[in-house]
Amino acid sequence: MWIRTTRATAQLTVLASMFLLAPEALAGNGKIAIKCGRIITQAGADIENGVIVIEEGRIRAIGKDDKAPWDAEVLDHPELTAFPGYVEAHSFRGMDRPNENIEVAPFLDVRDSIDPINFYFEDVLRQGITTLNIQQGPLCVIGGQGRVVKPVGLTVEEMTVRPQSGLKIVASARPGRSRATQAQALRKAFGELRTYLEKLVQDKKDGKDYAKREALFQGRDMEKEENKKGRAMEGNAPWKLADFESIPRGEVDEKQEPLLRLVEGKLMAFVQCDSAVAVSMALEIARGNGFLANTVLVIDGDSWKAADAIAEAGVSVVLGPNLLFVERDPITGKEIETFVPKVFHDKKIRYALQSLNSTAQSLWYQAATCVGYGIERKEALDAVTKTSADILRLGKRVGSLEAGKDGNVILLSGDPLAVTTTVQYVVIEGNLVYDRSKDVRARHLLEGIEQNNAAPANTGEEPVDPHSGKKIEDAKKKDASDDKGEKKKD
Amino acid sequence: MVSTLFYVAPIAALSFFTAAASFAKPSTADNPASNNATVAIQAGTIHLVENGTVLEGGATILVRGGKIVAVGKDVEVPAGARVIDYGADAVIVPGLVAADSNYGAPRPSERTADPFIRAIDNFDPYASFVFALQEGVTTAYFAPARGRLIAGQGAVVKLSGGPDGDRVLSDSAVIHASIGEDARNTPGYWQPPVPATIDTGMGVEQQQLPKSLMGAIVALDELLAIAKGGPDNGEYGRGVGAKLRELVEAKKPWRIGADSEAEIRAALDFAKKNGIPLILDGANGAASLAKEIAKSGVPVILDAPFSPNQSGRDFGKGRDAEWPRYDAAVALAKAGAKFAIAPSSMMSASDLRFAAALMSRGGLDPEIALRAITLSPAEILGVADRVGSISVGKDADLAVFSGNPVESGSSLVALWSEGDTSFKAYETGSVVVHVDELFLGNGETLAPGEILMEKGKIVDIGRRVGRPSGAVVVKGGAAMPGMIDALGHLGLEGSTRVPATRFEMKRIVEPGDLADRRVAKTGVTTVVLTPRGISRTGAPMMAYKPAGDDVDKMVVADPCALRLQWTERNRRESGKAVRETLQKAVEYAKKWAEYQDKLAKWTPPPAGATAPAKDADAKKEGDADKKDADAKKEGEGDKKEEKKDAKKKKGEEEPAKPITGAWETKVTVPPFAETRLRLYLNDEDGKISGSLRCDTLSSSLVQLTGTRDKHKVTLAGEGSNGPIAIEGETAENKLKGKITLGETKIDFEATQVSTEYEIVRRSEVRKPKEEKKPEVKGEPRAPGVDPELEPFRKAMMNEGAIVVGVDREDEILDCVDAFNDAGIHPILFGANDAYKVVDKLRGRVAGILLTQRVIYTEPKTGAQKRNRYAEIAAAGIPIAFHSDAEEGAADLPLIAAYAVSQGMSPTAALRALTLDAAKMLAIDSRVGALEPGLDADVVLFDRSPLDASATVMRVWVNGKEVR
Repeated sequence: MWIRTTRATAQLTVLASMFLLAPEALAGNGKIAIKCGRIITQAGADIENGVIVIEEGRIRAIGKDDKAPWDAEVLDHPELTAFPGYVEAHSFRGMDRPNENIEVAPFLDVRDSIDPINFYFEDVLRQGITTLNIQQGPLCVIGGQGRVVKPVGLTVEEMTVRPQSGLKIVASARPGRSRATQAQALRKAFGELRTYLEKLVQDKKDGKDYAKREALFQGRDMEKEENKKGRAMEGNAPWKLADFESIPRGEVDEKQEPLLRLVEGKLMAFVQCDSAVAVSMALEIARGNGFLANTVLVIDGDSWKAADAIAEAGVSVVLGPNLLFVERDPITGKEIETFVPKVFHDKKIRYALQSLNSTAQSLWYQAATCVGYGIERKEALDAVTKTSADILRLGKRVGSLEAGKDGNVILLSGDPLAVTTTVQYVVIEGNLVYDRSKDVRARHLLEGIEQNNAAPANTGEEPVDPHSGKKIEDAKKKDASDDKGEKKKD
Repeated sequence: MVSTLFYVAPIAALSFFTAAASFAKPSTADNPASNNATVAIQAGTIHLVENGTVLEGGATILVRGGKIVAVGKDVEVPAGARVIDYGADAVIVPGLVAADSNYGAPRPSERTADPFIRAIDNFDPYASFVFALQEGVTTAYFAPARGRLIAGQGAVVKLSGGPDGDRVLSDSAVIHASIGEDARNTPGYWQPPVPATIDTGMGVEQQQLPKSLMGAIVALDELLAIAKGGPDNGEYGRGVGAKLRELVEAKKPWRIGADSEAEIRAALDFAKKNGIPLILDGANGAASLAKEIAKSGVPVILDAPFSPNQSGRDFGKGRDAEWPRYDAAVALAKAGAKFAIAPSSMMSASDLRFAAALMSRGGLDPEIALRAITLSPAEILGVADRVGSISVGKDADLAVFSGNPVESGSSLVALWSEGDTSFKAYETGSVVVHVDELFLGNGETLAPGEILMEKGKIVDIGRRVGRPSGAVVVKGGAAMPGMIDALGHLGLEGSTRVPATRFEMKRIVEPGDLADRRVAKTGVTTVVLTPRGISRTGAPMMAYKPAGDDVDKMVVADPCALRLQWTERNRRESGKAVRETLQKAVEYAKKWAEYQDKLAKWTPPPAGATAPAKDADAKKEGDADKKDADAKKEGEGDKKEEKKDAKKKKGEEEPAKPITGAWETKVTVPPFAETRLRLYLNDEDGKISGSLRCDTLSSSLVQLTGTRDKHKVTLAGEGSNGPIAIEGETAENKLKGKITLGETKIDFEATQVSTEYEIVRRSEVRKPKEEKKPEVKGEPRAPGVDPELEPFRKAMMNEGAIVVGVDREDEILDCVDAFNDAGIHPILFGANDAYKVVDKLRGRVAGILLTQRVIYTEPKTGAQKRNRYAEIAAAGIPIAFHSDAEEGAADLPLIAAYAVSQGMSPTAALRALTLDAAKMLAIDSRVGALEPGLDADVVLFDRSPLDASATVMRVWVNGKEVR
């Protein structure tokens, strides 16, 4: 059978069966055709009664008349709605521990921290999220490098969609610290990088090129490595190193290297801001070090107040889970409510929604909240699929259902924004990875403990029906006699 | 940037003193439009602070583009300039400068010396500093951190303006340091090595100086040596030396925290030895070193040693314990040292004025104290080029106070700041009224006097009351409680009907009525409303306030009294009906008295001692059966009625119903807009009387008469624009037809909104049914409440009043006897001859409501002119004034003023207008006097209220100004 057991089930079954299923699960070479009543493509008009054909993990064709290849497995559900898998633009769960206690640690990689069998990924799958950007936690100054993953796979490598998706930077004060100390630590990190690089270049100029000598000695060709030189800081960025070209690539300390890549524009930055003043700090650091174009602000609190500055900087934002900001007038105590996405909509700033890993505020819920507060439906849905994908620079791969994109499709029982809708099937890269009818855990939660699974009573006494108080054995006998009767009839 | 007035707490002074001054003199300016941005701010006193100059007797500040362009007593105001005059009492000072604050939550880093920390990073331009602003503080110092030897670089910013404003005065004003106690608790420093291998190990915690004053000076010396290029072993962290050098070379002053004499001395020595610019911070013990400090030229920022909002601090019982001293400011001033006063780190920047007052102990000149919270801190922190004093070219940061800002009791009136602002005008709702003469209503007068109103109630009365922050201070000549019209008709809208005794007058109260509000604005804030006629069982009276938006707050008491008529046209009949009613009332009251008596004697059975459970169950079941039976019966009854209805429907024609009630529709009479039309009709067997109200058809109420023949209705009346005729037909609850007014004919279709003739403007609020308490055996049963007799019972308990109309002296005496026998002190109404029998009435009546004829001429002699009001009041019988009119209630103060002009005692007249009226009507628990706890109904005059030339300036009803 090609249809895999769901991940949820797989985790419940013994480890051995997981190993058995794993290779098949990730081969992704099967052909699958999904027929359903309605396809919300998020790229143009919806399609009624259409077909999505996925081959080699990619969508080969999508449309009303497309025919399923003769050898494809067909998932025929005219009652369901197909929707692109949700994209979570920022998350700090799924790791064994989200925070490192070293303040400035750009050299860390969440690869070493992601836990593939974390229940989080199972939850995420149940919510229909097929792509997530896992970033380190918020209690640092410069955290590690994040990773975009899909919530299936037994190793981090299998899960990976894009490694080193970006560097986590925190612009707001950590608990117990002031904004000034945070700002100071951030400035210092980049200041030290600069001092370090200047020294490195100077040393090389001075002929202390030990590496080259070493390379020559070993017979390696340093030229190739030198050809990998980054482009010099572009445009009006104030971070200008006179001899940027001459940074000896092979010699840069691996602790400093990620920061250098950030400054060079090769790495994205996800900057956490919990207030408007933190946004100013984030933009100052990004602008001053030339990575503004690669910056995404992950915001919370009253950061929306700095919307003008964000619009001017032209960066995108990922909005925190609390979309309704409530503040009090200090004098009258009157509550003032602001709907945050509306602010960004009005300022024409690209924004994505994040669920911050809360099941109660999953992405569809966030989008539905937006619609409830007057955001256009299309924009709200984009904010959890297409825009998130664009912000992660994965717009060509995920976020909508189009030919050529990854075969990430979720089948919903109804409209994606309806409360009653459930995720019935999840297909990631052409593999059916979630089937609600086989989701034992969800069933357990919704329907309670199944009688079949209950441990047999072994008290030595005759079993008693808890409801009637009668002995169960009688019923069994009755069943038996019924059987006999039937047999007789036969 | 346009200079903006962004905070104005309204002050009465404004309305008093601006009239003459607010018109600009004609000027020769060519283009007035170019001066649009110019604002002229005027006040009686302006402290320039620079050179100690004080402009008194009225001066002007001209502001343009956020800067001060001119200041002086004879500044010519350019044409087109906006003029704002705060009045002769107002005092303008420069926006205050707090030389220390805790804004931005300064927290130290791990290092003992971290000059990298910049306080400006703690500054949140999106935050609101409203609490400091409302105390007049416009500029504040931000500390980078506290509790470190070198905590970082301090900053000075403005507290108002948006995130884009030019608010940073100095992003690196000083090196913030301390050698005091607070800097000696720096923990050891440790950072995990990356990667921690078996070779490098995890490292150890590195101890950091200082732990003592010696250590502090050693550490400072070391740091300075590193900064000057000495050897750096990295003990104080990477790059500290370079950063310090940068700051030292920029000649940044060192703001060193030093409290005790020893610390101050050490700091002075350190600065002298190294030739660095020093600012002493804290300096509690500076008094004994004042001369040395003055000689060294080192400026001092004095902290007021007080921690508000906390329990008292223990300073130690030993001989050497250093207790806070308050003498530093006076000593430094005497020695001629430069000093600023700052709130301590335990205080908020908004406490700056309190800090200045505290440090003024020992007789600091208020002018110097003011300088210590304005110009001196600005100079010491190096921002005096923009703030700190009122002089041409500086920012227009101005604080307007109601008096000298350093003296407690003065409060902020307005705050000016250049630039845009995130700070908006607000009112906390607390109002302080300050007057030269305060009439309390009970005959007493406070001169001067103050009232504090909060949340609709009077909170405090006295010569001087508290000033909660944000309170609006209003000044005036005199104030008194709102006046009471003891009997009026405001709100009846011309109706002459007498409703039932039990009718709730509350239902005709209409909030927001213009005529009502106009009455309130004349100072009559309570009207005792009664119908124009009398019924046998009495007409209800309700006390209500003619201003407000909430019916429940508007109604003072409903009913507050009943009105009866003793005198009849046939004098033989006089009092007959009243006596009968009184008889019933007495019996009714007796029943209640008996009940209460029984109840007092009855002791409830102890719990558990009730009847056996079985019996109770049986009883319950029985009850249930009974109920079921009842329900069945009811159901049957319903069915019968339904049948009847069905029969009716089957009949060929539905019998026409009377059309009594209120009808409403909307009509359009071109060219006027659509207006509401209301018909109030009373249908008695086809004869219809009633009224029509529709503003476009007639400006006055139209009295209608007409007939109804089955469904056809004809009505006619005389409106202000000519005769109005109505023809129509009824169907169900609709009235369809035509209205004819002259040539205009309008079709209308009115809907019945009420079937009662008495107009129900508000739907009746039904009280939620009280759950019946389970009856306990033997508990006395309460007799039923009879709403017609209840007011009598209340009057007997002095909780209500009975007003009785009576004329002649013999009848007056009979009437009073009858009422006294029933245990009631009546209010006599009319009472033409009462003055003849005052001696027999004293102590036996609640009060007397005389007719409006103040001057009474004896009809028999025709010559004797008397002021009956004066006579009865002088005899010690409470009287009250009443209007017996609708909006005519506005004349009430004049009636009283006239009575005074004709010889009545003003004190008695004031009492009659307020407390006496309230007492006799038993509404004195809410209105009638200026007393804490009562409703904040206050009338403000420019002079003594019963002077006919006195003008009502402002009126508050329930603490809200009537506008």
